Amino acid sequence: MKKGYYIILLRVLAPVLAIVLSALMSSIVILAIGKSPLQVFYTMFKFSLSRLDSVAIMLYNATPLIFSGLAVSIGFRMGLFNIGVEGQYLIGAFLAALAGFSIKGLPAVIHLPLVILCGALGGMLWSFIPIFLKVKRGVHEVISTIMLNYISYSLIHYLIADVFIDKSQKLIQGLGSILARTPKLSPSAMMPKLHGFLGLFGLQLPRHVYLNWLFPLGILTAALVYYLLMYTPFGFELRAVGQNREAARTAGIEPERVYVIGFLLSGALAGLVGLSDLLSYFGYMDMDFPRNYGFDGIAVALIAQNHPLGIIFSAILFGFLKRGAEGIQTLMGVPREMVSILQALMIMSIVVIAKLMNDYIKRLEKKEEMMVCSSENSSPPA
Amino acid sequence: MFFGELLASSLRMAVPILLTALGAVFTERSGVVNIGLEGMMIVGSFWGALGAYYYGPYFGLLLAMAAGMFMALIHAINTVTFRVDQVVSGVAINILAYGSTRFLSLAIFNMATTSPHVSGLPKINIPVLSGIEFLKPLVTDVSPVIILALVLVPISSFVINRTVFGLRLRSVGENPLAADTLGINVFKMKYAGVLLSGILSGLSGAYLALEHTGMYVEGMTQGQGFIALAAMIFGNWEPKGVLWASLLFGFSEALSFRVVEGGVVPYQFVKMIPYVLTLLVLTGVVKKSTGPAASGVPYERGLK
Repeated sequence: MKKGYYIILLRVLAPVLAIVLSALMSSIVILAIGKSPLQVFYTMFKFSLSRLDSVAIMLYNATPLIFSGLAVSIGFRMGLFNIGVEGQYLIGAFLAALAGFSIKGLPAVIHLPLVILCGALGGMLWSFIPIFLKVKRGVHEVISTIMLNYISYSLIHYLIADVFIDKSQKLIQGLGSILARTPKLSPSAMMPKLHGFLGLFGLQLPRHVYLNWLFPLGILTAALVYYLLMYTPFGFELRAVGQNREAARTAGIEPERVYVIGFLLSGALAGLVGLSDLLSYFGYMDMDFPRNYGFDGIAVALIAQNHPLGIIFSAILFGFLKRGAEGIQTLMGVPREMVSILQALMIMSIVVIAKLMNDYIKRLEKKEEMMVCSSENSSPPA
Repeated sequence: MFFGELLASSLRMAVPILLTALGAVFTERSGVVNIGLEGMMIVGSFWGALGAYYYGPYFGLLLAMAAGMFMALIHAINTVTFRVDQVVSGVAINILAYGSTRFLSLAIFNMATTSPHVSGLPKINIPVLSGIEFLKPLVTDVSPVIILALVLVPISSFVINRTVFGLRLRSVGENPLAADTLGINVFKMKYAGVLLSGILSGLSGAYLALEHTGMYVEGMTQGQGFIALAAMIFGNWEPKGVLWASLLFGFSEALSFRVVEGGVVPYQFVKMIPYVLTLLVLTGVVKKSTGPAASGVPYERGLK
């Protein structure tokens, strides 16, 4: 049907429009500090895309965002808002690190999957608290997950600095005490880089790039989530609850059950967010472990309109922005927080544009219905 | 003496939560959920310090309120005019606040995370009462903003419950369709509620920067905007209830400082106290309290 394609086109157009609109709005900020927006955006593109290693870093940046975008989107799909991805991935990364440094002597084939599983388990554990409170006590998940984020920061700090601190570190000259970080993970727990595989195709990546197998794993996970949402009974239930909870209940679906399973799934995915950094770049966990992936995931999910496959692309977009931000900071002296502003504007633009478009599509469909009705009425009796 | 000081410090810690929670009451009573209060506090603390650094504390407070109101205006345009998801818009406000303050802090102060030292408003000694030894910490060197915050409680209560404006605000939050039928401008009332919350959160952020710390520090709001939301729920969407809830949270923070000094419990756990308390309070209370009926639901004309 012709109209169907038109609607799909509108849906694809929405994120593109949002990106353009937010780039225009952030140009005002760039102008305000006396730089040229065109030059800033040109530098971003040139810095991120002109070299192979830069592109690989972009994909490395995108890896955690695929998982966090997926985690947030599963929440959105069932009508819940998981702002707690932030805390869930810290707890997940910590449990993974714990399994990585405390177990020794396992072959990598067993150790690495075990570490990943522990990550998922940690995220799941931390997501159980808010969903339990929601289903049993009616506590809104937004406030409870935000509180749990703050609690997780302190908890991780305690675990790293007081309980599992690496005592075997050598004292650095001029520093009074050892660094607050966990012991190093066993080599068998580390994720191999993609360098060898890409080398088969003649693509040689330098050593300072940490792109690893979690990137293809992320793409695979997105495909699995897509299958789960679209082609399984549970996926159908989840979407039904998200569209209209009470209608779903009438149809015999128990929303509370869907909430619990869906949220735990979201938490499990969140638990994988930190692994790319942990298992390839850091190899231990310290106080500088990257933050904010959970909040980035919200933007990633919204730009992709919660479509699992779209999330791959929007994660790469944000990986590009992060790489480009380093470029404009070092080359042009524009603070990299420029990208945070851009990100916030993108969230606002995409929700406003998606809303307007949905209204427009609804009107189109209504008009079509009316035309069908009136043509039926006006047709002469046979 | 110890007890008096603990009370005084509780009050000082409660004021930012109280101001923001009063704002939260206004916006939720008009039917708009505002998760962006935290972000509005952040811009308040930054612009407050910026204004005070250049033109003195009074200008700082004004600038902070204007900055908070500006963020609230964005939230209102998103949620009232375009009717997008209120929580999503609030999250975007928080990210915008975080990014823009860091950006501007680098551009203006050449430091990402702090501002230079700024001086606050002149402190007040309350006469007569400061003569009593027990009350001394509570009534000497008091920030005028603390007094303003306390005075705002009965004023807010009066405005919401006893004035035409308050009646309209509440009606819009409970049943916008009925309010619209009676000729109340639903959109205008919602804008008013959201903007008031921005002004109060901006003031609260400025209090943190000017009166409490004497400078802007990144992350100084520490989630108090979200705790204020919990205080609002615990206070049952009423200014007087909000006062007691804020004092409870302020007390827990003040207490946690004393415990750190004692050093029995690891300080990371002490830092968790306000957040754990928030969770516990919500778990215990949420089923018993009911908010405005149409809170969180965007109002669309000609629907149903």
